[in-house]
Amino acid sequence: MSSLALSAPAPLRRVLGEPRVVIGVGLLLLLIALAVFAPWLAPHAPNEQDLLNTVLPPAWAPGGDRSFPLGTDALGQCILSRLIYSTRVTVIIALTAPLGAALLGCTLALIAGYRGGRIEWAILRMVDLWMSFPAIVLALVLMVALSPGLLNVIVAIILVDWTRFCRVIRADVVVLRRKDYVAAARITGASHWQVVMKDIVPGILPTLISLISLEMGISVVAESILSFVGMSVEPNVPTWGVMIADGLKSVFSSPWGLIAPVGCTVLTVLATTCLGDGLRRTTDPRLFNRSGT
Amino acid sequence: MSLAHAIPYASVVTPVPPLQARPAGAVLLEARGLTVSAPGRPERLQVLRDVSFTLRAGATLGLVGESGAGKSMLGRVIARHLPDGFTVDAGTLRFGHGEGGADLLGMPAEAHRALLGARIAFIPQEPMTALNPVLTIGQQLQEHLLRLGVAKDEWRERATAMLAEVRIHQPAQVLDKYAFQLSGGMCQRVMIAMAFAGDPQLVVSDEATTALDASTQAHIVTLIRGLQERRGTGVIFVTHDLGLAAHVCDELVVLYAGEMAERGPAKRIFTRSLHPYTQALQRANPHLTGPRRLLFSLPGQMPGISDFPSLQGCRFQPRCAVATEACATAVPAMREVLPGHHVRCVHGAAAPEPLLAADASDATIFHAPRMSDAPFLQVEGLSKVYRPRSGWLRRETGVHAVKDVDLTIAPGEFVGIVGESGSGKSSLARLVMGLETPSEGRILLNGKALVARAEDWERRIASIQMIFQDARSALNPRRRVQSLVTQSMESRPNLHSDRQARARELVADVGLAPDMLTRFPSQMSGGQRQRVNIGRALCDLPQLLVADEIVSGLDVSVQAQILNLLLRIRREHKISLLLISHDLAVVRYLCSRVLVMHQGVVVESGETEAVLANPQHAYTKSLLAAVPPRDLGVRWPQ
Repeated sequence: MSSLALSAPAPLRRVLGEPRVVIGVGLLLLLIALAVFAPWLAPHAPNEQDLLNTVLPPAWAPGGDRSFPLGTDALGQCILSRLIYSTRVTVIIALTAPLGAALLGCTLALIAGYRGGRIEWAILRMVDLWMSFPAIVLALVLMVALSPGLLNVIVAIILVDWTRFCRVIRADVVVLRRKDYVAAARITGASHWQVVMKDIVPGILPTLISLISLEMGISVVAESILSFVGMSVEPNVPTWGVMIADGLKSVFSSPWGLIAPVGCTVLTVLATTCLGDGLRRTTDPRLFNRSGT
Repeated sequence: MSLAHAIPYASVVTPVPPLQARPAGAVLLEARGLTVSAPGRPERLQVLRDVSFTLRAGATLGLVGESGAGKSMLGRVIARHLPDGFTVDAGTLRFGHGEGGADLLGMPAEAHRALLGARIAFIPQEPMTALNPVLTIGQQLQEHLLRLGVAKDEWRERATAMLAEVRIHQPAQVLDKYAFQLSGGMCQRVMIAMAFAGDPQLVVSDEATTALDASTQAHIVTLIRGLQERRGTGVIFVTHDLGLAAHVCDELVVLYAGEMAERGPAKRIFTRSLHPYTQALQRANPHLTGPRRLLFSLPGQMPGISDFPSLQGCRFQPRCAVATEACATAVPAMREVLPGHHVRCVHGAAAPEPLLAADASDATIFHAPRMSDAPFLQVEGLSKVYRPRSGWLRRETGVHAVKDVDLTIAPGEFVGIVGESGSGKSSLARLVMGLETPSEGRILLNGKALVARAEDWERRIASIQMIFQDARSALNPRRRVQSLVTQSMESRPNLHSDRQARARELVADVGLAPDMLTRFPSQMSGGQRQRVNIGRALCDLPQLLVADEIVSGLDVSVQAQILNLLLRIRREHKISLLLISHDLAVVRYLCSRVLVMHQGVVVESGETEAVLANPQHAYTKSLLAAVPPRDLGVRWPQ
């Protein structure tokens, strides 16, 4: 009878009761707010150069300027403004790339896991082949082929990272497909499509949600790496990766140009990891049933 | 093999002469007023209340009850392995007697641990999971023997001797095998060998034979009894099967919801039980011999721990047919109504027998509404071969799961298929349902052969539906009952209100309360889940239900409810049933015709009564011999 207490609205309450989820969601919402309200929050335009005030230290340090709170870079651009504007690319990447990779990976995983046979063999070998190629090199090659641009970065990240989803989700699908309730759905006349949508997809959702939240962090890092080597969005768009590359050049005169974007990237990845871990703990029945009986 | 003969233990492999009357040994284990509480608020909930018994050396004490009765809790008390937060609140548990006796609850943990394995041993329910899968049997026996103080260079001899004693052939080879390479019965023998290795004084067998086939169960019981007689071991035999316990045990304790209902000599309790619960259990059990009587199904279900606070008096009172006013307010005391026979019931020895009324009420329920004798389902020469994955060079021949099976089913007919695990009966069920494709042979539905085409699939699922064995895995945990029972309406357009109405009808049909409609499967008991499972199969009113071991995981009283439900459904909806079961008594209760399967082949078939009364095939005879007989005068197992 104690299981009655865990009825329908309980999963949501359990998820929101987990501090990791709250921290992760909170930080990501803050990031989105920064991206949306960037023009109002940033003291300067991201590419506005003040060649008289290059490599300024932060405002609180000796020699700092109040109008540049975190100082300026080698071209006299405001570091804080660039940080804030960079969140736009980060947010777009973090929201679209994982969804795209999940869609591609899951579709192939469902086909492979549900159909089995030769199709499964072919998809799995393709995944193996794909994963044997170093991910960053693959992304670089793709970017060279595709030419810079936000959309192309997203496509490159999707094409590199879908394999992660495909592997994990397929294993789940294979387990679910062998459940009696899938056979039971078939003999009640459900088509394969209905079985997949009603009995299998809901079963993989917990795994999928935590995978997507982890992938958010991974895609943000991937984008930073690409822009670090100048293979990402157009050169005039600020991103943390570009800032890291710029900051590295003047690291000895003003370390803040490097520290600030690195810190932002680390914090974002931490937020997604927290969120993914929290979601996994609260949605995986194997983990929360331990305390039950 | 030469090793096995060279050692002193080999001589005891020869069967010992049967000992009918066992000498009453010294008191081995004595429990007085044992009470165990679960953590709870505001008051602590007593999961075991006032349990007392005495076990003498060389005797067997049976703990009988359904799931939730608290019978495994007692084993945990002895092992001092209670779940978190559970505590022993009152009572004593003494091991041994007189000067050498020790308080099992009060002694230091060190001393208690020294007793386990050496003087107190356990045989677990699931032998496969009790053995470590990554160590060989030999490695595990070695560890156990070294702990018992066997010298390092002797363990192999001792282990071989032990395995020979539990009648494992070629014990030396078994030592090098892993648990997954052995059958369930073999693993259980290994566990028994380990339990008896240290010459313990007390062995606790917790449902040790439940997961095994009937014939393996008989072997295991013989083994335990043989070892016990030779060494004078006291055995606590935990089981849900009253008939088995009556044969195996000297004394029985019947538990209900953590309370002793009845305690006394096993044969007396079996032949003349006094507590209404024991009586109900007896009447809920189908028999292999004697007249076929309607099973009595206890209403409701065993209360869970969280229900205990609302049960102030006798915990059986809400389900008891002879309960009086006093039962609801005060717990009846355990009274010795006959020498050695204690009952916790206000009626004492004079318990009325009102349960008989239920028997006569529905004599018509067995009559099949035979509409025509012409079979609507014909299975002809059906075979299924599983081909192992062939390597690059070798081509292996396949395994026949089902071989050349013929079968017909007429409208309204209940046909049973019996056999032990691995006999191919489940494969046959899946073939008939169409979840597997046959290698050879054909299935005719209403005179037309079914082939693997989309229209035929529609035709097949409209006429044949399947009830799965494990209701937990057959019900999608994310659907509610109303969506589950009407799952087959999803594939065609329906009004939402139609579907709701059908769900209400189906739930009523299978005897569930309407408030169950919005529940999830995880919020229901095993019996209720199986009802939902049956309701779903009934949704489109098929001609045939294929039921694969649908009562094997259920308690006796719940099983009786489900069996009677199937009979009622036949009367109301004129449905046929293909019942797959390992339990001959269940098949006899429901089915007019039976097929006995062994290694994929039907070895015997015919009218159920004729086959069971006069079995022709040796396999059928061995199946029947493995079931504990009703007559306690017959020595079982032979």
